[in-house]
Amino acid sequence: MLCQNCKKQEATTHIKRVINGETTEKHLCTDCAKKQGYDYDGFFDDFSLSIPNIFSGFFSDTPLALAGLRQDRCATCGSSFDEIIRTGMVGCADCYERFYDRLLPSIQRIHGRAKHAGRIPYTVVDDKPKAAADEKPQAEPTTEEKIATLQAEMQKAIEAQNFEQAAVLRDNIKALKGEA
Amino acid sequence: MKRYETPTSNGDIVLSTRVRLARNLKDYPFPARLGVEDREAVNNLVKDALLTDENRDSFDYIPMQTLTPVQAVSLAEKHLISPEFASDSAGRALILAKDEDVSIMLNEEDHVRIQVIYPGLALEDAYARAEAFDKALEQKAAIAFDERLGYLTQCPTNLGTGLRASVMLHLPALAQGGTMRRLSSTIAKLGLTIRGALGDGTRAVGDIFQLSNQVTLGISETAAIQNLNAIALQIIAQEKNARAALLKDDVFIDRIWRAYGILKSAHMLSCSEMTDLVSLVRLGAAEGILDIPLETLNRLLVEMQPATINVAEGRRCTAAERDVIRAKAVKDALA
Repeated sequence: MLCQNCKKQEATTHIKRVINGETTEKHLCTDCAKKQGYDYDGFFDDFSLSIPNIFSGFFSDTPLALAGLRQDRCATCGSSFDEIIRTGMVGCADCYERFYDRLLPSIQRIHGRAKHAGRIPYTVVDDKPKAAADEKPQAEPTTEEKIATLQAEMQKAIEAQNFEQAAVLRDNIKALKGEA
Repeated sequence: MKRYETPTSNGDIVLSTRVRLARNLKDYPFPARLGVEDREAVNNLVKDALLTDENRDSFDYIPMQTLTPVQAVSLAEKHLISPEFASDSAGRALILAKDEDVSIMLNEEDHVRIQVIYPGLALEDAYARAEAFDKALEQKAAIAFDERLGYLTQCPTNLGTGLRASVMLHLPALAQGGTMRRLSSTIAKLGLTIRGALGDGTRAVGDIFQLSNQVTLGISETAAIQNLNAIALQIIAQEKNARAALLKDDVFIDRIWRAYGILKSAHMLSCSEMTDLVSLVRLGAAEGILDIPLETLNRLLVEMQPATINVAEGRRCTAAERDVIRAKAVKDALA
């Protein structure tokens, strides 16, 4: 048999792929096989059923996949929902937000009705306690904390030889101490 | 010393433990929608985040274009990279520990795939090591994450923790008894999967199986690891019982000695024949019938694969040439 690609040399590499039940065969000579990336002693033949193809099977019968929602695109990466279904691959992190409702049925088919229960990256963790920490002192500083803050401010004012402001702060501290 | 050369916990049944974390950078589209230039920007960012002055000497940073296809396939044979990663080098890079126990694929299916491979059963240790890299990465880079869906991955099957943990098990006695099919359906109900680790997927060559978690969303890393560890220990106990029963049978003990005889005398050995024979001999060695270190046999299973022999020889050998080289190396190893 001659190579299907160059039609000159004897075909030595025979590739049979079964993708979603469809069988395709390729017969190539050593040189053409090499050019087309089959230079692996048949090593990759076993992997021809690629993961995206398997995954797109999860999407294929979602009713929403068939609905006329094909023109929307993710503003960040430009992927449409249609493309995500076809390739089984989500375009970028923002696609998950953009197409959340439409992806959810497929995600639930894989994972069940689950919500993330694992680790959270520092960047996400850090934002939250910081926001909480910002609110807390404003809400409920104790008298002692107020005095400590004012004393620190007074010390700064003295160091800066801003005695008028230091005097005001001193009076405020006295008033607070009277309260306590 | 490479990972498959060290003796370790449950080493008579567990060949190795692998933990993988899938991560993506928030500010770049996922790899399939990323050009070579952006992929390289991702590679450099991750490299700078993970390789520090303290650890740089124990890792190699390998742009995949710098490898020949055979070298790349050899890495896949050793399970250090995926076959898919070996098949296309554009804009991809690998951070590989010199002792091959950490392998970080850049721009595979996700921007970052942190993998730790330890010998024996060592799920907690392997996860702790992977987590340390994960923490180093997130200190330096914004990670794609959603509170409901967890770590965001290109393929939704990895959403949540992005954690895939697996143990490679040598189960000749369970396979011999024909219990694998039943075991596999029980395991599926527990959110795990078991399948042949070597060969073409039609049968488990060498009776070597890979047990791994399937579900990644709605379960914490610790729970997933503990769950997998518990099931692995149960399978190990079952295999031990099955071995004890099997080794009362002289016919089976004869098969082990005959396998040993072929390995010691053959002039040519194909990879699958050698793997099946080494499997029997490994069982004999683990059960004290043959006096051969398990590490020697583990090493043969890894190093006698086709592309790995080609790399060692420094040329593309024909299959027949490799079978001769393999038979000689096996003979030498068992001498």
